[in-house]
Amino acid sequence: MNGRLLLQTWRWQRARLLIVGVAAVIWGGLFPLFYVQFSDALRQLAKSGAIPEQLLNFGSGSLFTLPGAITLGFQHPLALALIGIFAVGAASSVVAGERQRGTLEVLLARPISRRGLYVTLAVAMLAVVLLIVGLMLLGMVIGSAMQNVLDELDLALMPLVLLNGFLLWGAFATFALAASVSFDRAGPAMGLSLAYLLINYFLEILGSLWTDAAWTQQYSLFHHFQPGEILAGSLNPLDLLILGVAVVLPIVYALILFPRRDLAAPS
Amino acid sequence: MEETAATISTQRLTKHYGRVPALTDLTLEVRPGEIFGFLGPNGAGKSTTIRTLLGFLHATSGSASVLGRDVATQSVEIRRRIGYLPGGIDLYETLSGGDLLEYLADLGGREPIRQAELCERMQLDASVLKRKVRDYSHGMRQKIGVVQALQHDPELAILDEPTEGLDPLMQQAFYAILDDLRREGRTIFFSSHVLSEVERVCDRVAIIRAGRLMALQNVDELLARRKRRVHLRWRGTAPDLAGIPGLADVLVDGDRITGTLQGEVAPFVRAIASPNLEDLTIEPARLEEAFLEYYTDELPPEPMRR
Repeated sequence: MNGRLLLQTWRWQRARLLIVGVAAVIWGGLFPLFYVQFSDALRQLAKSGAIPEQLLNFGSGSLFTLPGAITLGFQHPLALALIGIFAVGAASSVVAGERQRGTLEVLLARPISRRGLYVTLAVAMLAVVLLIVGLMLLGMVIGSAMQNVLDELDLALMPLVLLNGFLLWGAFATFALAASVSFDRAGPAMGLSLAYLLINYFLEILGSLWTDAAWTQQYSLFHHFQPGEILAGSLNPLDLLILGVAVVLPIVYALILFPRRDLAAPS
Repeated sequence: MEETAATISTQRLTKHYGRVPALTDLTLEVRPGEIFGFLGPNGAGKSTTIRTLLGFLHATSGSASVLGRDVATQSVEIRRRIGYLPGGIDLYETLSGGDLLEYLADLGGREPIRQAELCERMQLDASVLKRKVRDYSHGMRQKIGVVQALQHDPELAILDEPTEGLDPLMQQAFYAILDDLRREGRTIFFSSHVLSEVERVCDRVAIIRAGRLMALQNVDELLARRKRRVHLRWRGTAPDLAGIPGLADVLVDGDRITGTLQGEVAPFVRAIASPNLEDLTIEPARLEEAFLEYYTDELPPEPMRR
């Protein structure tokens, strides 16, 4: 790993990181507020039968409980956009973008192995993903405290929620990095990574809204992100294992493929 | 791998892109302390060779070593000891020129001991280095490219078309830098399609065509073998010049004679010495003619026999 490259990679992301980081804290802080404001009304709506209960859930989240609200906060499309900026956007262009701009060969003219370059960039991107997920979670804790519902959360379990969120988004980031080392242009790498994210998201949401298609959820990585279960003290280690495998497999692929690729002159 | 005398050595180096051959059986050696010109038009295989030497491309067959290290397995070690200027270099647009040089020096892990001197010689003063790369002209970027390749005083510099975009003044400054490096025993591998600069700075030259080595010689030897144009003017009737060694393509137009001369000049001058000789012009041999000899025919290239 190259420390100078790591610092510079973060430096290039700093403005975006600041904006998205602030937005993540604010976004996280809104969900305890939504929970306090709307949970009773939604519960009554569900009881009345006017709207089927599954339509009041979204993915694995809901506003019926605070942990459910936290899950909802992470699975909302806006959360996808906030974290996806780095986990998909930045990660997929980090190598392919350098190739496209022609700067990769200036970088690789230094004594840096391709594996060293990949590991450095992967660490940079995974750290950023961890930071954004952590800030969103921090916003949720701050929001809960501001709404006086912090006692509904077991703070001791928060590191596990963070780990669960990091593994979910880390899986998308390592997939995007693997795509990034596979293509000479950022566009195809980003397109493939975005498709992977959206297919996973679609399978989770489809299964949660349509009971006949509930089986599709087990094929979605989002289904293994379960803050509600973790905070209820019923963590399924298999969820972490599946997400862990989804993080590691693209890393292994990239470490094998990238050093073997021919880097022809940029066109 | 055993240390070899050659700074760069390739043995039957071959690279195919799919089924398209880009480089075929390239065998050459670059000696320590020389400036080696690698000549060929666009698409001849110059950049493919360089990229293979740097480990960016994997050879289809054959082998190559740089500074005694195998390019396939010891690429990082090689890159620790060399400087590289890519053809048409692309740089980080959002950094200032100064920050870029510092960043690349840090990544290289070696003190940029020549940075100040090179910046001065390439006329990159402090005010220029403070500006963002995105505000630089093509020539300025090329100057930064030259500095980043040489600032850590590498044992070997691989320069892919280094004078592209430099104005004539900067080209001269660059040639002077190369002369100094040669005096200090550094080795330069220099690809170009500008014949005059290869002739000006290189000790030896390889000519490559369609991925095959066509010639590998000292520049002086190559020039000595070239035909020169000669122009003579006679008082009275022009004599019969048939039989003068090396003289060919003789055209007589009244008192003027033109022809081509191959080989040494002295026997020719002795042969034509006469009180009736009014004027004699022998044009200098140009590398361009040697180069064109390998490129003007439509026949498939005949590679050099070694």
